[in-house]
Amino acid sequence: MKTLWKLDYSQVKSGLNSGEFTPTELAESLWERIESVDPKIQAFLSYEKEFVLKAASESTERRKNGKPLSEFDGIPIGIKDNICVANMLTTCASRILENYRSPFNATVVERLLEKGFVLFPRTNMDEFAMGSSTENSAYQVTTNPFDTTRIPGGSSGGSAAAVAASMVPVALGSDTGGSIRQPASLCGIYGLKPTYGTVSRYGLVAYASSLDQIGPLSKDLQGVVDVYSVISGKDPRDASSRNISSYDPSKQQSLKIQGLKLGVMKMSSEISPEVAKAYSEVLEKLKAEGAELIELDFSKLGSAIPIYYIIATAECSSNLSRFDGIRFGSRKDLAGKLEDLYVASRSEGFGPEVKRRILLGTFSLSAGYYDAYYGRAQKARVLIRKEYEGYFSKVDLVLQPTSPTTAFKIGEKTSDPIQMYKADILTTSVNLAGVPAISLPVGKDSQGLPIGLQVTGPELGEGKIFSFVQALSSRIDPKVDLPDTIR
Amino acid sequence: MNLNEESLKKIADLAKLRIRSEEVGPFLQDFNKILNYVDTIKELDVSSITEDDLYPNSGNSVRHDKIEYGLTRQEIESFAPNFQNGYFVVPKVIET
Repeated sequence: MKTLWKLDYSQVKSGLNSGEFTPTELAESLWERIESVDPKIQAFLSYEKEFVLKAASESTERRKNGKPLSEFDGIPIGIKDNICVANMLTTCASRILENYRSPFNATVVERLLEKGFVLFPRTNMDEFAMGSSTENSAYQVTTNPFDTTRIPGGSSGGSAAAVAASMVPVALGSDTGGSIRQPASLCGIYGLKPTYGTVSRYGLVAYASSLDQIGPLSKDLQGVVDVYSVISGKDPRDASSRNISSYDPSKQQSLKIQGLKLGVMKMSSEISPEVAKAYSEVLEKLKAEGAELIELDFSKLGSAIPIYYIIATAECSSNLSRFDGIRFGSRKDLAGKLEDLYVASRSEGFGPEVKRRILLGTFSLSAGYYDAYYGRAQKARVLIRKEYEGYFSKVDLVLQPTSPTTAFKIGEKTSDPIQMYKADILTTSVNLAGVPAISLPVGKDSQGLPIGLQVTGPELGEGKIFSFVQALSSRIDPKVDLPDTIR
Repeated sequence: MNLNEESLKKIADLAKLRIRSEEVGPFLQDFNKILNYVDTIKELDVSSITEDDLYPNSGNSVRHDKIEYGLTRQEIESFAPNFQNGYFVVPKVIET
């Protein structure tokens, strides 16, 4: 029983349902794993062991009495620190929320609890989800389990590293411009950014509301599909939630690679040679199986990052205005004026990247600049959406590398914000268009670092993506083994 | 475009953020780099985009106007930095 932590999501699920082990045995094994490797990885921000073991023991009791809440009862799941869990710390990896315990559950959390999932404490992230490396956390830098001198990607780097290092079988992240897919890619796991509006954002601390979407990260496809099926579906508490039912995996149809039309990209200098090679090898296999590869013109997506940064920062400056030191979060007590209290609380509570983005957003929304920046970016966003509509009139799915490079060194890009922003060059357009995309591992580079493939589908095309990934996974070996130092 | 120190201070004021004098230089440098990068959207032709294009699937909904669960005073007190007798305490705002 000592090595239960090694199990992938599917093995965890079948082991619990067959009674091979109990939720408590599983949670204890994972906890031992966390205590042994997390000092190196630093994926978790808080350790509330009693909370976890109590939930696991309740699940064990339910299973013992033959009354599990669902087939998922007892499955451990890591929760990114920007998703509210009642009575647990929810800090968004920021000083301004360092003591904040949410009084309520996010809708996704409520849905997981209804099915009996065991919530593990909070995974590290870039502060308020702003970053591509998890170096912007106010508390700690998470490392990549494949090489602890490198970043795990971001902003859901804690969730990705926790799953990759077998500390939890599945975790939730949030994706605003690639924040689930890019770390999934750099950590050799699966990560889904669902269609905008299919997963409730109620209880997700907002960064950029029109782009944010919660999604799962897992070592296998099954974990992604199962968790998506639990968390998706209309939520009356989120006005942007779409009127759809939860995703039903039983209705998923199998898919033939033969005859499939796949949109592919021509390699550019921005893609590293090793990533390009792994990508080409996958395409060759698909071609050999009879898929039709159609080269698409992605040049219009080149403007996605500038559009993204204007829209995301404008929304962040508005969303983060609620952190004023008065109602919640940390407060700088001063004898001065109310205005001074706001300024002091915000200036000391937010880190440099968050301040930079608030300022850029405030600028693009300010009088005299609104039309030239925010207004124009909103229109330009439509161009991106229409571009994707054009792609999906020609092809079934779009295939690209997820990240232009494998994991880079800690500190390598921190001094140059533009270089850091470009880490998301292949993922941000998907958020602007609102369509779904998954990243799955397809190989590794000469240093043993994982390489991911991004599969993008049309709106509400999650089922198609899952069917394709399932078909593809049986033809390649998507597993990337951890180095001995972490194993 | 490039932002100068005076405009940066004005924006910081609007955003309720303080930038210390030693931070101004590096901040301006980064900020202007980012601004020049995002300025590239000015080259895009957006003349064909109409208001109707902007919010295609917004489907925003409003809830019924009925009383629903809200936070209790005790819950608010549990996370408020300074909360007394049912009120958030702030520095004096009215001069007497």
